[in-house]
Amino acid sequence: MADPAPDLPEAANRRFASGAFTSGLTVPDFAACLQMGLEPVGYVQGFCVMQWGWYGVNSPYRRGLSPYGGGQGGYMESWQCPHGFVSAEHRSWGQNYQQSWVEEAWGQGFGSAYSRMLEEAEALGAHGVVGVVDTSDRLGDLGVLEFHVRGTAVKVDDAPGPPGGQPWTTYLAGQRLAKLVEAGYMPVSVAASVSSVRVWAYCMTEYLLEGTNSSWGVAQAGAEITQVASAQMAARQIARERVRSQMAGDSLHGAEMAVSDRELGAGDQEIQCVLRGNRVRRFKDFDPMPVPHPTVKLS
Amino acid sequence: MTSENRLGAAAREPVDIKAEMRRAVDALHSQTHKKDSMTSDLSIDEELNLHAIGWEPVELVCGVSLYSVPMGVWNWGQGEITWASAAYAHAFEGAIARIHRECSKAGGHGVVGVQVERSIHRHHIDVTLLGTAVRPVGAKRVDAAQVFVSDLSARDFTLLQVSGWQPLGLAVGASFVYAPRRSLGTAMQQKSQNVELTNFTEAMYTARESAMERMQSSALGMAGTGVVEVKVTEGPMDFARHAVGFAAWGTVVRLAGDSHRTLQPSMVVPLDDAVPAFEATALRGK
Repeated sequence: MADPAPDLPEAANRRFASGAFTSGLTVPDFAACLQMGLEPVGYVQGFCVMQWGWYGVNSPYRRGLSPYGGGQGGYMESWQCPHGFVSAEHRSWGQNYQQSWVEEAWGQGFGSAYSRMLEEAEALGAHGVVGVVDTSDRLGDLGVLEFHVRGTAVKVDDAPGPPGGQPWTTYLAGQRLAKLVEAGYMPVSVAASVSSVRVWAYCMTEYLLEGTNSSWGVAQAGAEITQVASAQMAARQIARERVRSQMAGDSLHGAEMAVSDRELGAGDQEIQCVLRGNRVRRFKDFDPMPVPHPTVKLS
Repeated sequence: MTSENRLGAAAREPVDIKAEMRRAVDALHSQTHKKDSMTSDLSIDEELNLHAIGWEPVELVCGVSLYSVPMGVWNWGQGEITWASAAYAHAFEGAIARIHRECSKAGGHGVVGVQVERSIHRHHIDVTLLGTAVRPVGAKRVDAAQVFVSDLSARDFTLLQVSGWQPLGLAVGASFVYAPRRSLGTAMQQKSQNVELTNFTEAMYTARESAMERMQSSALGMAGTGVVEVKVTEGPMDFARHAVGFAAWGTVVRLAGDSHRTLQPSMVVPLDDAVPAFEATALRGK
């Protein structure tokens, strides 16, 4: 085991030095890991509680000055009112834009928790971390999120340590990891990213979402709510591109996308998309399998 | 080993998984093997199934559309709520068009494993599609109009291809109706009787058949001969319990060649007890 890490909690260092290993693996996954030559050395985890403030004078983004975004780079689309009149109650202009400060704060929180998990793994002299689970939960106030990343640190029998000393990581464990390796892929790291898109609705979006696009009391036919549809597509595309930018030529396998939206006012909403997956690298040319033989179970 | 299907081919030699693991770890010390990366939500089993028939995953793609429903549409009335039915169809069309474009742009020939999410609100209907674009290994790009979208899993897609069939797209049909009212006199008269409520029966019957007919028409429009894996949902709206919606969707298929290829499955008796599979994602607690 490596020297105790100076910035880990004392209890973590005591736990690592106890001589017994811990793991989050089920018994079948534990057996499968041993079969692959992976020796569990300890259950490792990292935490981070993040608060991000993007409005107000202390915000580095100086967002309190205007409700409209843009100017921060990234995705932005604008819509103009088709009615041609100006009124204090008529939203003559709308915008979708990427909230990069939310994405960076999430990335900082996840990255901190992830790197702390790796720190624990390195303290154990691990080569990799399998069965990674990451969660983010709200803690009390709006804008405060706890990131928790954990997994089982393993050593590979008769193999050199990872390049640069940083363990490889994967969401997979046991049989699924064995199948991945047998198929010719090596896990490099878990990949996760978030995208946040803000919708400031213009008049047509507001009317269509409220069903009030009538003329002189006569309901008009429905129409596609293009502003929100564009924002929803953009949130997913941005998350995918952000994760892809982490790949450096590797592939994302077993991806999982979770999208949530929060209504902030009449027609206004914030859309968040979290994309997770395993970054994998092909280490051998693919040898196509014969077509699987269909079977019927008799019990 | 060719890329042609070989049913019942001899099993490969057992793999030394420890040696493969050591070899895989060595890959971390070398340059990346491929230049073009791919993103996929398929499991490794599904990806292996695809490779077995000469296909490969390309990109995680999506399509989203929201279509408005005017105010007052859900109020009491009679017959079909045509604006809601039309909005549902338009929302699906918009989402499918967008996922077609994403698939074509990524170089895919079709999308498999599509997760179909629909949500019906009082003033808008939302449809979200998410799946993995796939293509024959090394194939060139095709136009968005030639792309197929299917909610079949990669395993079922493999089985379909092996049987000689091809997916063409998603067929969708929906019908929204008002639950019909009886007159006060009729309701009082029938209160203590064992009697069929014919107004309900006819309305629900008509609505269900309309939804299925629209799905079938959608399939015929794609020159398909059948629809597989049909899913049917029905129920009252949360915000208007007197309005009932019926929706059906499935994958349109047709024979790729001259005739169906009959499979000969083997009978097996598993000797291990069923054990719950561990899902690491379940620990996320959501």
